[in-house]
Amino acid sequence: MKRYFYNIWETITTLMIGLGVTFGHLLRIRKGNVTLQYPEERWPQPQREIGFNLDRYNVIRSRLHVDIDDCIGCLQCSRACPVDCIKIEFVKVDKGLDIGTTSNDTKKRLLVTRFDIDMTECCFCNLCTYPCPEDCIYMTGGPNSRKHPIDYEYSTYDRSDLIFRFSNVDPDQVARLTGQNELKVGGK
Amino acid sequence: MTITWLIEWVNDSWLGFLGLPGAFILAVIIAGLAIFGLVAVHAIVAVYVERKVAAFMQDRIGPMGQGPGLHAGKWGLLQTVADALKLLVKEDIIPAAADRKLFVLAPFILFLGAFIAFVALPFSESLVLADFNVGLFYILAVSSFGVIGLILAGWASNNKWSLYGAMRSAAQIISYEIPAAISLIAVILLVGSLNMQAITSAQSGTVWGILPNWFVFQNPFTFMAFFIYFIAGIAETNRTPFDIPEAESELVAGFHTEYSGMRWAFFFLSEYANMFIVCGVAVVVFLGGWQSPIPGLMTGRIWGLFWFMGKVVFLVLIMMWIRWTFPRLRVDQLMNVSWKVLLPLAFFNLFGAGIWSLWLD
Repeated sequence: MKRYFYNIWETITTLMIGLGVTFGHLLRIRKGNVTLQYPEERWPQPQREIGFNLDRYNVIRSRLHVDIDDCIGCLQCSRACPVDCIKIEFVKVDKGLDIGTTSNDTKKRLLVTRFDIDMTECCFCNLCTYPCPEDCIYMTGGPNSRKHPIDYEYSTYDRSDLIFRFSNVDPDQVARLTGQNELKVGGK
Repeated sequence: MTITWLIEWVNDSWLGFLGLPGAFILAVIIAGLAIFGLVAVHAIVAVYVERKVAAFMQDRIGPMGQGPGLHAGKWGLLQTVADALKLLVKEDIIPAAADRKLFVLAPFILFLGAFIAFVALPFSESLVLADFNVGLFYILAVSSFGVIGLILAGWASNNKWSLYGAMRSAAQIISYEIPAAISLIAVILLVGSLNMQAITSAQSGTVWGILPNWFVFQNPFTFMAFFIYFIAGIAETNRTPFDIPEAESELVAGFHTEYSGMRWAFFFLSEYANMFIVCGVAVVVFLGGWQSPIPGLMTGRIWGLFWFMGKVVFLVLIMMWIRWTFPRLRVDQLMNVSWKVLLPLAFFNLFGAGIWSLWLD
């Protein structure tokens, strides 16, 4: 009989302790919250300490990047691509006009009006980077960290956002530079 | 605002040509839609609040609306609305081996049991659909009607988990109705009436000039009766820690395993409607119904509604708090609590309350 009432008493007191614990968590939600609202907030990226210099990687197959100012529109990468995910279009510029040089001091002859890489199709084979005469297409990160930091998660809400458009030429510029002589040589 | 007032109002308006039978039907439809609206809104809000409460207690943040396009609003406020829309358009699956007629019927019987109990709840001084003499008895009677729907759902699904769930819920609800009813009788003894408004009116004034004269504060026996009723009420609504009929880890989802879409939504609706009923009865019987907690302060029809709803929401929140704190009881433990603890205590309470009322006289 004593045991019976003691059990009831113990039940009530221990249940109160449990209720206290959950209520404490309810009140401290601002401090104790462990959820990260992923796309808006993210954990800080940890410093990479792998024991050797990043330059010693051959390549990190993360994401293709193009330094479009260095591109001369030679279509080599597009031809090398086994899955045809690089689309290049360019316009021939009038002889007299100067559209600058690349960082290798090559004179640019063609205005690249479209340089799209569809990263949903890309198979990360890295074959496009070898033929490039100007070294302007490369995988980000690793040995290329100085040119472009690594892009771990280029996740997007829309699949079409994974088509990276590198060309920064606007139509006005094309019209101004080429005049009426709009000679389009389509790439792939 | 009783149903008779509504009938007269319809009869006196331009709809008077319908005659008394027409006015009656129209008034019932209006009242039914109003109650259904209340049940639906309560369910939508309560599900959202429950998810948030659960998340906060587990150091999460619950549903949040983030990202572009169609999303769940600020702080996920539209999450349950989106869920309700999804449930409305979902495919209605009836298993091939199920008993089709009973399978279709079951959720509506369950919902009906919760739905018609709203008729006798006094929302405020004048807002009660049917203020009849056996109000409390009526609510107890019709809310146990729902268990038929539960058993029907379990049986008609032709699924062993569903059947287990249904049988468990039958055993559970029948067990817990006894302590619940007996703890209410302790109050009925003191009031001398089953009328919900009479019970509410018996709680006006103060105890020792400080506390409101609610039955939970009036004497030690009714104080204990409140807790017995509330525990039994949680068990009757099949909520954790008494959710063995739908124990996810044991029975998939119990009696509603085979249900989907709108039929499943009706189970959900009736769970939340049952919560409202249980808390409403606890408020009317023990917490002074629509009476203000400070006597004389903020009284009147609108404030009465406010106080009633406020108290119900408070108790619903406590139910959620309990749900997200305690683990589920085993079947034998559940029966043990009901028959060996709550029932003797309820009888003792009834005895004590009887002596108290004699002593008061």
